[in-house]
Amino acid sequence: MPSSKSDIRAIVTEAAIVVIAGLGIGLAANELSPRGLALSRNYFPAGTNQAPVAPRQVQAAPVAADTNESPAAAELSERLRGKGLRELKRSQAEALLRDLRSRDGRIVFVDARNPDDYQDGHIPGAYELDPYHPEKELGNVLPVCLAAEKVVVYCTGGDCEDSDTAAILLRDGGVPGGKLFVYGGGITEWQAAHLPVETGVRNSGINSK
Amino acid sequence: MWRRRTFETTAVLARWTLGALFVYMGLKKAMHPEEFLKLTRQYEMVHSPFLLNSIAAGLPWFEAFCGMLLLLGIAVRGTALTLVAVLVPFTWLVWRRALALQALRAIPFCAVKFDCGCGAGEVFICRKLAENILLILVSCWLLSGVSRAFCARHALFSGKSP
Repeated sequence: MPSSKSDIRAIVTEAAIVVIAGLGIGLAANELSPRGLALSRNYFPAGTNQAPVAPRQVQAAPVAADTNESPAAAELSERLRGKGLRELKRSQAEALLRDLRSRDGRIVFVDARNPDDYQDGHIPGAYELDPYHPEKELGNVLPVCLAAEKVVVYCTGGDCEDSDTAAILLRDGGVPGGKLFVYGGGITEWQAAHLPVETGVRNSGINSK
Repeated sequence: MWRRRTFETTAVLARWTLGALFVYMGLKKAMHPEEFLKLTRQYEMVHSPFLLNSIAAGLPWFEAFCGMLLLLGIAVRGTALTLVAVLVPFTWLVWRRALALQALRAIPFCAVKFDCGCGAGEVFICRKLAENILLILVSCWLLSGVSRAFCARHALFSGKSP
């Protein structure tokens, strides 16, 4: 262990240098990184920066269960209500995808996960909108959503709030709240119900089970 | 002589292991800063978006930087002290979060499993706490001045480089 006062002082000074250099390098690396965060941006709008009280693991809901009775579902509904967003159940989302209007852009699906997850599998025809990097896609997605009659936003489901954030981005961009819906079950529930999933880019035509 | 060599080898391996672990965990988080941001948010440490973003943006690179210093053997004791100063409050935060989850889920403490933002995904809390205590002990050991072999500059101010 450090034996003398000067030894302790040297170690503390060294630690201070490490901290200052480390923080400087950390923030500079964030600025230079293409995946870096924008420090001044609020990534959790219309709520707060407070986390959900009890995060739950993302679980696929039983296929037959499409009700809103479980505590997790009630929590989800309450969360969306608190943000002024409207919730969509799986059966409703499925009906909208099968609706002919989804083929001519009057019903639009928006995937609010990161690009890698999107490529791995998304609801067929869904647009990509990563709410943490909206500058990439918002310019393309917003006009489509403004022109649509209904917009369905989803992410992983469960505790995932990225769909809420993306929906709020669209709402802030001028999409009326009345035609914005969040599919709370997300892709996890969708895939568990063996509904169609498209891989790769939008309208790739490549479907996976 | 033999015992001393074994001791020195163990100390160097401990430093390299700790350094490699921090580099790996730091870079893993730095590659997905938005995921780390969401995980940092769960601790409710700060409510200012700027502070929250700064922590989530800077901490992963900071960890990787400290890991690099240990691997190269630069400012080893200062880095070890920094790691203790980071690990102790973080372990306390993880423990506090686990207690809250235990109360909400009404399950035994060691059955609590969540992603603490440590870079290893979801882990059982008791295992995580044991790991963190081990990391703190290794850092304290390095703080004592061991592991001087294979160091670029063990101490910044002593003027003595091995």
